[in-house]
Amino acid sequence: MKEDFLEIKDLKKSFGTGEAKQEVLRGMNFTVKRGEFCVLLGPSGSGKSTLLNIIGGIDTPDEGYVSINGDKLEEMNEKELTLYRRKHLGYVFQMYNLIPNLNVKENIEVGAYLSDKPLDVEEVLTTLGLQDHKYKYPNQLSGGQQQRVSIGRAVVKNPDILMCDEPTGALDYKTSKEILSLIEDCNKKFGNTVIMVTHNEAIKNMADHVIKLRDGVVRHNDLNENKISAADLEW
Amino acid sequence: MKNPLIRRIPRELRSDWHKYLVIIVFMVVMIGVISGMYVGHDSMLASVYSGWDELNLEDGSFELSSKANPELLADIASGNKADVREYFIKKGTEEAEKDVSKAIEEELNKQVTEAIEENVRAGLAAYGITDEEIIKKKIDETMAESFDEALKEARKSEEFKKAVEEAYSEAHSEVEKKVDEKWDEISERYNLDDESFAPVSVTLYENFYRDELEDNTGDGIEDAVIRVFKSDSEIDKASFNEGRAPENPSEIAIDRMHADNVNVKIGDSIKVGSKKFMVVGLLSYVNYLTLHQSNTDMMFDAFGFDVAMVTPEAFEELEARTHYSYAWKYDKEPKDKVEKADFSADFLKALITQTLVYDNEIKDFLPEYLRQASNFAVTDIEGDSSATGILCYILIGVIAFIFAITISNTIDKEASVIGTLRASGYSRSELVVHYMSMPLIVTLIGALIGNILGYTAFKNVAVNLYYQSYSLPSCRLVWSNTAIVKTTVIPLILMFFINLFVIVNKLRISPLRFLRHDLTKSKRTKARRLPKWSFLGRFRLRILFQNMPNYVVLIFGVVFIELMMCFAFGLNDSLDHYSEVAPDMMFAEYQYMLMDYRDSDGNTIKTAEPSAEAFDMKELLYPKKRSSFRTGMGSGGDESVTVYGIRSDSAYITLSKNLKEGEVLISSAFKKKFGIKNGDTVRLSEEYENKSYEFKVAGTVDYDGGIAVFMGREAFKDTFDRKEEEFSGFLSHKEITDIREDDIAMVITAEDVLKVTNQLKHSIGGIVNVFKYALTVMAAALIYLLAKIIIERNEHSISMSKILGFKNGEIGSLYIIPTAVVVVICSCIGFVAGYILMNWVFKIFMKQMDGYFAFYMTPLSMALSVIFLLVGYAFVSAIDYVRIKHIHLDVALKNIE
Repeated sequence: MKEDFLEIKDLKKSFGTGEAKQEVLRGMNFTVKRGEFCVLLGPSGSGKSTLLNIIGGIDTPDEGYVSINGDKLEEMNEKELTLYRRKHLGYVFQMYNLIPNLNVKENIEVGAYLSDKPLDVEEVLTTLGLQDHKYKYPNQLSGGQQQRVSIGRAVVKNPDILMCDEPTGALDYKTSKEILSLIEDCNKKFGNTVIMVTHNEAIKNMADHVIKLRDGVVRHNDLNENKISAADLEW
Repeated sequence: MKNPLIRRIPRELRSDWHKYLVIIVFMVVMIGVISGMYVGHDSMLASVYSGWDELNLEDGSFELSSKANPELLADIASGNKADVREYFIKKGTEEAEKDVSKAIEEELNKQVTEAIEENVRAGLAAYGITDEEIIKKKIDETMAESFDEALKEARKSEEFKKAVEEAYSEAHSEVEKKVDEKWDEISERYNLDDESFAPVSVTLYENFYRDELEDNTGDGIEDAVIRVFKSDSEIDKASFNEGRAPENPSEIAIDRMHADNVNVKIGDSIKVGSKKFMVVGLLSYVNYLTLHQSNTDMMFDAFGFDVAMVTPEAFEELEARTHYSYAWKYDKEPKDKVEKADFSADFLKALITQTLVYDNEIKDFLPEYLRQASNFAVTDIEGDSSATGILCYILIGVIAFIFAITISNTIDKEASVIGTLRASGYSRSELVVHYMSMPLIVTLIGALIGNILGYTAFKNVAVNLYYQSYSLPSCRLVWSNTAIVKTTVIPLILMFFINLFVIVNKLRISPLRFLRHDLTKSKRTKARRLPKWSFLGRFRLRILFQNMPNYVVLIFGVVFIELMMCFAFGLNDSLDHYSEVAPDMMFAEYQYMLMDYRDSDGNTIKTAEPSAEAFDMKELLYPKKRSSFRTGMGSGGDESVTVYGIRSDSAYITLSKNLKEGEVLISSAFKKKFGIKNGDTVRLSEEYENKSYEFKVAGTVDYDGGIAVFMGREAFKDTFDRKEEEFSGFLSHKEITDIREDDIAMVITAEDVLKVTNQLKHSIGGIVNVFKYALTVMAAALIYLLAKIIIERNEHSISMSKILGFKNGEIGSLYIIPTAVVVVICSCIGFVAGYILMNWVFKIFMKQMDGYFAFYMTPLSMALSVIFLLVGYAFVSAIDYVRIKHIHLDVALKNIE
């Protein structure tokens, strides 16, 4: 039995004040185990990106806490939070946010530089199928290829948690499946905990753990006993 | 592992090479020129300083009316004061005793003669002889026989002895009384009884010279005054910039600067007095770095005055009178400038007494530290550095702000990437370092290349600039720490802190806000309301508001450039203007200064010229209120003021006001230069005496030609204790032809005033023109960089506008017109601000110099200083238009990456 790695407890977050106040997270509770592929599912405005940002230490809750491996983020100062992100997290966004004047390999090295235990850049390039493109600049790549680089930059750090915010949101069906397969491969190969935010219901089928959010609360918190591989997903 | 972000820097340099090229060229030229200035400046100063030792620069010099004998020289060298009182008593007693003894002899002779005559007459009367002829004969016989014996007897008498003693004693006490009176007067005048006096022993050197007339064009007309020294002088030697020292009596070496000005080269012949010489060397005398003929000259004159070296034989063959000038060097070197002043004051006291007791006369006395000819250039070169330094910092500041804006713009553009990096664990300081590296690297590259050029090409530009103005020795390159600090360290520090401030501020926001592109700090929730202009007008206004920081830097830069433009245009204009109005400023076409009001026969000098009017004149000093060592005695530090005594019905100066006692009028130049108001009291002091006078300013005489004070002749005589018949010279509308040349000390005409401006124009004329064009390029570069940022920032919008169907011309007008409006307004405001600032700067500059002329710009120059800048901008606009044209439509369609 895997241990609980990430704990979310009574998490609340609202934006605005007075009448314009909008509660985005309204007391959220769940745990994620180490090495789990966890999908946060929900429609727009359900609070999944806010939740991801709080877990990533780039946003703070109004109430409740996030605990990673027993360490509460709320108790960390800015410097410790930066260190936490540096040591434990890898980020993949919907928009790839690559550095335009660094080539593919160098963009991946940007991640490797931050880690004490980085993976081999060449190996990551091979895993992501980017060997033939490693000297190309982002503007010479397709959207799918750019997202692979973005995943490479996150994975190469060998992070404890890989945070993916709608990683296929800007991609077509085929490319989306490829990207999901890659994240799945990385999860298997490198053993990172993956937390993926998506509004695509189909993706839940490849996850170990599915958390459905609606109106700022957890509606369903299920473990998926019959998960299928990303290649078999259909939507 | 090296931070992979480092690899972005060379790529960014490459991809945006034209922008960085402009910045680097801008910096290289600026740092290069300024480094060159400093290196040239330090090298020149080092050469001058080393010349002081190597060429044995005097500590001061004095001129005597006649050649000093060895005893006098030895006594002067001792630094001791002579016992002037004793000397006067001895001299007075000798004369008095001579007079007394003569009087006694006469009295004795008279009394003996009378006694003999009486005896003879009495004897003959006893015999009844009354015939006068017989009596006379008998007297003569008796005189011949017994006069000497009787005289001898009389001398032996107690009565005689007592009378003699009384006479001598009375004479002695009379002499002592007179000497005491005279001594009191002299010692008070020269402060000879000063208790703090300490003898200053010196080594003396003969440094005789003759002031001859020079004809350097061979047309028989004298072109300049040439001061000729002997080649065997051991003091104040010359260094040779070209050629060699004269070796035979037909050879001469002349000043390099003068030779350059009048186009005389080695091998040319010049006439000195009536003797012809071949020029074999171009030199720089260590004590004539500027060609000041007299220490009171407002400006040096390298056209009309020359210094030269001939062999001792040739010197003897010259005809002009010899100036018995002696230079001294202190045996114990003064430790600082204050001690220099103390030493020279004590030495002067000793010199006054020694020349008195040796019946010689001091014609001139000048400590080296007050000597214009050797200090003017050094002070000027020393002063140059601060101005260039400030220039450099302002420009670096402008570039630093341009960088800061560029980086701020890049941060905006890269917000998502920064957000991702920060979310991935990059610390803020790592990103600050990353964004800081570009300006620092560019500054370092600029400083490195700039300094290399500074030590090579630009150093020579600076040195040549000095050479065009001054008679300096050959320059040896020295390492300049100042150049490194001021052109590399300080610019880096400036660049570092300005960018650090902007970047840290910019990166302060959270990673999440970067990811959301939520970068503005403004709490403004509603759009700024705009006037009801046309759509395009409002669009332009939005662009204007969007780019406010750019425009603020632009305003700052343009004001600075306009200030420099005013300087570049105004300097020539001011000189031209001064030349134009100078002849009108002369209150008399001719001003004759006489050697004395009497000619050599003792008759008062008169002229038949009807317009001639006698006047009195005296030079006094006005303190400049500077804490410098140059204040106080001598003309080097304080402003020299000419005090005129004018007839109340003068045809030249109207003393219309009923001046009360102690009231004077001052020249408008005096008033403007020192900001003196009516009712103020001015305190003027004697140059070599501890004496000062206070005058109340009652009004102004409209005279910009000099720093002068005017008063009635009667008041002048009262104030300065002049005799009734005494006067200094004549003011005249026409040339005076009936006064002997020997009696005239100086004639001042408009030409003499013009020589100042001619010299300045020659020295700086060329460089000022280069400066104008350099400023235009700088203005264009500055606007180019800022305009580029504006367009880059709006690339997406421009691309989108093209997609929507806007034509290039329309888009160009949208993005170029706001900048054009700002540039035009800035140029006009900048000009006004620059003009006002320059007037102020010029006044300060003038205060450091002797004399005065006002800052002036012709309307054409005013217009041109703005037009030059606008021409630079027009060029940039054309580039901007091409840049807008080349923005592709797909910029708006593609992802940010």
